[in-house]
Amino acid sequence: MSNHTQHKLLRKLLLQSGGKLRLTVAISTLVAGTTLLLLSVLVWWNFGILLSGDAQKGNATKNYVVIGKLVTDYNMANVAGNTFSPQEVQDLHRAPQVQDVGEVIPARFAVYAVIGGRLAMATDLPLESVPDRFLDEVPEDWTWEPGKRQLPVILSSQFLDVYNYVFAPSQGLPQLSRTSVKAVGLKLQVGGEQGTTLSAHVAGFSEYLGSVLAPPAFIAYGNKTYAQGAASEQPSRLVLKVADPSDTRFAAYLEQHGYTANPQNLRWSKMRAIVEVVTTATGVLALLLMGMSTLVFVLFIQLSITRAQQSLVLLGHLGYSPRHIYQFVAGRYIPLIVATMLVAMLLCCSMQLIAAQVALRSQLILPSVPGIPVWGALGISTVLLLLLISRSIKKAISH
Amino acid sequence: MQLTMHHIVPDYLQQSLKGRVSAIWGANVNIQQGELVSVQAPSGAGKTTFVQLLYGLRKDYSGNAHWDNLAANTTDAEALAALRTNHVSIVFQDLRLFGELTAMENIEIKRCQTNTTSTATVHEYLHRLGMSHKTDAKADTLSYGERQRIAIIRALMQPFNWLLLDEPFSHLDNNNRQKAIELIEETVHTRKAGMILADLNANTHFAYTQTLIM
Repeated sequence: MSNHTQHKLLRKLLLQSGGKLRLTVAISTLVAGTTLLLLSVLVWWNFGILLSGDAQKGNATKNYVVIGKLVTDYNMANVAGNTFSPQEVQDLHRAPQVQDVGEVIPARFAVYAVIGGRLAMATDLPLESVPDRFLDEVPEDWTWEPGKRQLPVILSSQFLDVYNYVFAPSQGLPQLSRTSVKAVGLKLQVGGEQGTTLSAHVAGFSEYLGSVLAPPAFIAYGNKTYAQGAASEQPSRLVLKVADPSDTRFAAYLEQHGYTANPQNLRWSKMRAIVEVVTTATGVLALLLMGMSTLVFVLFIQLSITRAQQSLVLLGHLGYSPRHIYQFVAGRYIPLIVATMLVAMLLCCSMQLIAAQVALRSQLILPSVPGIPVWGALGISTVLLLLLISRSIKKAISH
Repeated sequence: MQLTMHHIVPDYLQQSLKGRVSAIWGANVNIQQGELVSVQAPSGAGKTTFVQLLYGLRKDYSGNAHWDNLAANTTDAEALAALRTNHVSIVFQDLRLFGELTAMENIEIKRCQTNTTSTATVHEYLHRLGMSHKTDAKADTLSYGERQRIAIIRALMQPFNWLLLDEPFSHLDNNNRQKAIELIEETVHTRKAGMILADLNANTHFAYTQTLIM
């Protein structure tokens, strides 16, 4: 009871001179500043997720990037020079964001495909192989060994799109679903007239490679058996598994070394650079606003204490220690600051929940709770604010 | 708790004290707890300065004064606060009440500091000094005599070894002065405390053990 009475009297002497309206304004400004700061971190963090490809629902292809060397008017005659040396491959393992490097090995022998029946067509087939770990999905029967007559191939989904939307309508042919394509049998003439004939079937589709893939064992065997001339053993294309292909450092590495990549990936990195500039600018603005709102709050506290200076001096004469007064004043303002930060975080959590729901409509997955950077920003700003307020209260009391 | 003073001279009296004899200024004084001391001096001789420097409010003097081992001019704010809360109480000459608080609140803010006196005692003291009907009146609206009685009650709300009184009855009539003297005497006696009363003239308010002419 006595403690309650004492607090009531101290509040009357020390805190009422601030005015409720001023306190409301100071708190509202602080909520606005903190919310803006947290929102700018939230926006930066969400863009990071979206641009890194982690948000792509059921699609991991964003994390595979096929690179080659830029063919120019000056080096186009030097085919061997446009391959990757072992040192360059080794260096790529240490490039920003690169997690794994695989060689794309092209078939150095002719492959001629014939489709019979209603579809009746024939075409040269550009075959390549990549290590199995770089496939979107490894088909069940994705094996081949010398002597085996059946060859599984993986078709670029772009091929199917070209057939369905360009070739089929022009030739009066039926469009084909992925399932029906898998049921179509092909005859492959491998290694020209002196070579052999195999049966092939489409075992799967690739989203990021623009050619037809065959098991590595088949390409290795064919290159050894049917290849003509002494072509370079070095790969002319590499497939990279990249943690975040939108990282501007990754794009800069490719550009610096004269490598070309899927333009879509480079577009992401350009967008990322723009987003980083925008979010940095927003962050700076939010920091300024946060700084100003903190200043408003600190000035409010100092003004309140200055107005109560006479009472403060008299309380000292009665034996109230500076520590006691500090504990009382801080005990009134610090819970307000903590509540302010919680309100700002609550607003951020609501925004994240809304953002996650909106993203889901576009087949993108965003976490429904803000991530560590946002909580980190909350923690750091709370600690800094508490230190600053605590210091300004001590300073005002000691005067 | 013993009070010792060695050659204390306020800075502003350094010149005017030359050739003057004082039982306090420039003297060595030892006062034991339990003594009742009267300090007498005409206006302007430094009574209030003396009380305030003992209470640690003034540091503009030479020499030193100690409450046991604690220097009265210590800069340790926490130690000074503990001295004022638990060992030395005071009735200021200018009373120093919170004008915006009521009479009761002015007493409560002191009582709640240590909570060693009950509210029943507060009401008893108010009744004895004839202030029961003024408990809810703001200090600013009270007469000087009424405020003086509130300041006396406030000073008795804490534990103390010493009570400092600076012209505490200056605005009280004989009847109220006698009531206040009885209340103070009783409380000081109960607590086995010492008391220093500074006043303009010689008086027989208490059974003084020492009279110091300033």
